[in-house]
Amino acid sequence: MAAPVSIPSKTWELSLYELHRSPQEAILDSTLVAVSPRSLHSELMCPICLDMLKNTMTTKECLHRFCSECIVTALRSGNKECPTCRKKLVSRRSLRRDANFDALISKIYPSRREYDAHQERVLERLSRLHNKEALSSSIEKGLQEQARSRGQRVKKPTQESDNTTFSGGEENGDAHSHLSHDSAPLPQDPAPLPQEPAPFRGPLPQDSAPLEAGPSSKRPRLSDRGSSPPVAEGGSLPRRLREGSASEIELVFRPHPQLVSCQEYSQTRYVKTTANATVDHLSKYLALRIALEERRSRQVEGEEVQEEGRGGGSSLTNVSEKQYTIYIPTGGQFSTLNGSLTLELVNEKYWKIRKPLELYYAISKDQPSPSHNPPTPVPSPSNNQHT
Amino acid sequence: MSSQNTDPAAAASTAALKGSEAGGSAARGSVTKRLQQELMTLMMSGDKGISAFPESDNLFKWIGTIDGAQETVYEGLRYKLSLEFPSGYPYKAPRVKFVTPCFHPNVDEQGFICLDILKDKWSALYDVRSILLSIQSLLGEPNNDSPLNTAAAELWENQEAFKAHVNSSFQS
Ligand SMILES: [Zn+2]
Ligand SMILES: [Zn+2]
Repeated sequence: MAAPVSIPSKTWELSLYELHRSPQEAILDSTLVAVSPRSLHSELMCPICLDMLKNTMTTKECLHRFCSECIVTALRSGNKECPTCRKKLVSRRSLRRDANFDALISKIYPSRREYDAHQERVLERLSRLHNKEALSSSIEKGLQEQARSRGQRVKKPTQESDNTTFSGGEENGDAHSHLSHDSAPLPQDPAPLPQEPAPFRGPLPQDSAPLEAGPSSKRPRLSDRGSSPPVAEGGSLPRRLREGSASEIELVFRPHPQLVSCQEYSQTRYVKTTANATVDHLSKYLALRIALEERRSRQVEGEEVQEEGRGGGSSLTNVSEKQYTIYIPTGGQFSTLNGSLTLELVNEKYWKIRKPLELYYAISKDQPSPSHNPPTPVPSPSNNQHT
Repeated sequence: MSSQNTDPAAAASTAALKGSEAGGSAARGSVTKRLQQELMTLMMSGDKGISAFPESDNLFKWIGTIDGAQETVYEGLRYKLSLEFPSGYPYKAPRVKFVTPCFHPNVDEQGFICLDILKDKWSALYDVRSILLSIQSLLGEPNNDSPLNTAAAELWENQEAFKAHVNSSFQS
């Protein structure tokens, strides 16, 4: 059928790498090769739908992989070329089914349904985020109120008790503190739900489940039993969808190693917070804590602290989430986290890599924030003057 | 249908395509999913100089911003753009235009942008992030051979005058 004419015109353009590479030695013993969860995940992802590959098709010449449905749709609706590298793809005949790859995926993610359910939860939470402006601003008001009343109590530092919202000192640089939204008008569950073991402290050994997004290790209680049918997952779903108001997240909070000199705020903070708190909340909480600590140390030095005066009040009520930037370590570097993300989302996204969630902070640079609002200059706490 | 393909998988995806063209709910679901994934990536990546977010609760219309890159005539200016996603996204390119008026050889008075990846060079692999980054680099490196705004193309030669004009006419 195919005209032989096309054969002589076929040229192979080998890249420098292809010309010089030598084959990988086969692993014949029981050596284990560790693949980072992120890179593995991106290998298994379809670049068109950004979901996990489904009925994998591989381009015969350039070996790029797509879901069958995605690539066929792409070829029908656009240029006849590989979406990844633009190599000509004449027709579906330029593609082949990649059953091996499908088998590999189902080996790594035995329960595709669980994976999909997990994805859906994450995305669902995300999509609710941009309708939440009003809610989060009211949370902020609540936080401000608390900050104010907190400020009045600073006079008696020994009375800091652990059941107030911004409680727990870091006197030893190592104490636990608790950030909650008690005063915020969030829908609270009237009856406390049965305590769930901290979901991010699964009994799994570090390396047994190398993937970023498989819910099997996310919810170890379910999958470790192995026998749990998907019903169990479904049963717990409604509760998880209720804004996660019952769940808490523990996180380790450290100064950014490159941006914060070790004399400043050097302590590691352990924070336990509700999962629906956002990065901004965390940032604001941090600013408040540091402002309080500085206040306290000034008191120790015998400086007068004006309780109700303009100066004293403003140093705490001016506390803003813009003062500190929160970073997450991603593959050797630090990425800034968007303030409106809930910690639960952050945790879901990175949960397998960092356990418990590890975040870093540093004073925000004097740069316009990436938000749409014009930047508001906020004095950093270290040069906050008491006048 | 002009297709004579009998492969069941192909038939199924033809149906999916048909659905997407008609705005079918299943296809719309997968577009939504892809847009949500993109939003997630954008929020997590914290790119400096670009941002994008759905305009309201309609995931198919976003507002993006681009900061003029350093050492270009647009340095220090922030431009707003609108992105509208067709139901055939990502197989069809989104409609992208400047909301903030932009004096540039490849941007017309209505804010429409002449950029190949938004037209014939579109690939389903492009996303909001790569579009905004491409437009950001287009700002600093216009294609002056086929300008939409000939006055801008002519003035480009004189960078100082261009910058002065951009700054004096800028309205955010
Ligand atoms: Zn796909
Ligand atoms: Zn390719």
